[in-house]
Amino acid sequence: MKDFIKVNNVSFSYGENKVLDDISFTIKQGEFIALLGHNGCGKSTLAKLFNVLLVPESGEISVDGLVAKNEDDVYKIRSKVGLVLQNPDNQLVATIVEEDVAFGCENLGIPPKEIRRRVDEALKSVDMYEYRTHAPHKLSGGQKQRVAIAGIIAMQPQCIVLDEPTAMLDPQGRKEVMDTIRYLNKEKNITIILITHYMDEAVQTDRIFVMDKGKILTQGTPQEVFSKVELLKEKSLDVPQATELIYRLHQHGISTEKLPLTPEECIALLEELLNKKS
Amino acid sequence: MIKDITLGQFFPTNSLIHKIDPRVKIILISVYIVFLFIAKNFGSLGFMTCITVILMIITKIPLKLYFKGLRPVLFILLFTSVLNVFYGSGEPIWQWGILKVTWNGIQTAVFVSVRIVVLIMISCILTYTTSPTDLTDALERIMKPLTVFKIQVHEIAMMMTIALRFVPTLLEETDKIMNAQKARGADMESGGIVKKLKAMIPVLIPLFVSSFNRAFDLAVAMECRCYRGGKGRTRMKVLKAGKIDVIAVIFSVIVLAGVIVCNVMFPQLTVK
Ligand SMILES: Nc1ncnc2c1ncn2[C@@H]1O[C@H](COP(=O)(O)OP(=O)(O)OP(=O)(O)O)[C@@H](O)[C@H]1O
Ligand SMILES: [Mg+2]
Repeated sequence: MKDFIKVNNVSFSYGENKVLDDISFTIKQGEFIALLGHNGCGKSTLAKLFNVLLVPESGEISVDGLVAKNEDDVYKIRSKVGLVLQNPDNQLVATIVEEDVAFGCENLGIPPKEIRRRVDEALKSVDMYEYRTHAPHKLSGGQKQRVAIAGIIAMQPQCIVLDEPTAMLDPQGRKEVMDTIRYLNKEKNITIILITHYMDEAVQTDRIFVMDKGKILTQGTPQEVFSKVELLKEKSLDVPQATELIYRLHQHGISTEKLPLTPEECIALLEELLNKKS
Repeated sequence: MIKDITLGQFFPTNSLIHKIDPRVKIILISVYIVFLFIAKNFGSLGFMTCITVILMIITKIPLKLYFKGLRPVLFILLFTSVLNVFYGSGEPIWQWGILKVTWNGIQTAVFVSVRIVVLIMISCILTYTTSPTDLTDALERIMKPLTVFKIQVHEIAMMMTIALRFVPTLLEETDKIMNAQKARGADMESGGIVKKLKAMIPVLIPLFVSSFNRAFDLAVAMECRCYRGGKGRTRMKVLKAGKIDVIAVIFSVIVLAGVIVCNVMFPQLTVK
């Protein structure tokens, strides 16, 4: 797999406030990445840098080999990397849901018939098809967020960055959005960067970046990252509940070979332990 | 209470008028309005009035709603009528000091009032049967030739769309801020006009600030989705004129011919 996004020694500040401090990493085409970290650690800022809504103060970001040097590059990068912003309220432009989903495609100059097809498909994939003729301001927060996601899906970018897309959703809605995201990643091979505060979402990804005070604290597969429980605890970051439970058992002298990530793994592990005991 | 204000009132029904291409509809309605001013006697004006009523019935929208549309202009209507009644020329029928009522004054008053009412009804037919999006969309397309004169047609249409999108949001927000201020003990209902206006200041300032924040966020969201003005943009909905539009045009031509015929046939019905 080829490198898709390359971040080289990037720093960024809002005025005096240094938000990103000399960050470097690469993301490969088709990867599913989670970005974790405290409020205000710079996750949204990083997301905006991918999309050239902000420009790095020093360092360089290249997307699919492109570094934004002029207007045209910016436009090309934005059509490759779609960003779903954190607050859905002011993201919807048109007076009708389907018109809004079409907005991005219209900007890309796609023929009308193709736009129609993509819009219907995108609305169905976020389960908002029956709301296609509604007015955006009459939708709930979660519904608005789904429409915003559909608007990006319809543009068919190679990479989608989602900034806390499930923060406003109920458990059912969260599961549906996660299913959609995973489908896009697995079936359509779209690179996904998911910013989230939910650990159960993070464990579903290929790789996790943990940010702290403008730096990458640690990165790796969910297994690798969440086995560093001490490090995460020290920065008062969360680990999945299943991991936490077994970690505490470890502290009480009951050791297992590995730390589980999901409740299912945890149950299996506990069963094994109990069988061993008896 | 503020939420009751509706803008761009659109009442969807399955009538034929709803199905007319919005571009055709806008042009035909404009032509009707021009002809309303060409009609110069009671014969042709009466004819236009009948046609308008027929169109109103075809829209399948309750007539009550059309009369609601009249309410804001009722005062102007009354005012012009009174002026016209007293400013007529010719033999006075009734006189009191310098105020005199003439036959000509009454005729003019009735003629002008009917014309205004029909004018409003016709405009209502357009706005009631066309969704705001269709309206702005059609306007953009009709005005497209104006780009030759460096008029930013796309930008104007985009501004209208965004305004339509955010008016309800801002109204909702006003309500929210008012409730928030009330919850902090602000008194907005009692007192005279000056006191009430003063009480609005703590509502308007947060509203203003939040509108700017919204505008900024929206600009970011639009850029995010590759917006860069009207150049190279396509549209999902293609407007295509069909059979119904041809029928509408033919019907209008007949009506307009009728107006001219009435103008010529009933010179005795002209306001004297
Ligand atoms: N437009 C702005 N102007 C000035 N400072 C900003 C701006 N946006 C964010 N900041 C600051 O930058 C820092 C990082 O913000 P950012 O939005 O990237 O955090 P985040 O990791 O996304 O947090 P959250 O989890 O709350 O979404 C914060 O300290 C914030 O105060
Ligand atoms: Mg954020």
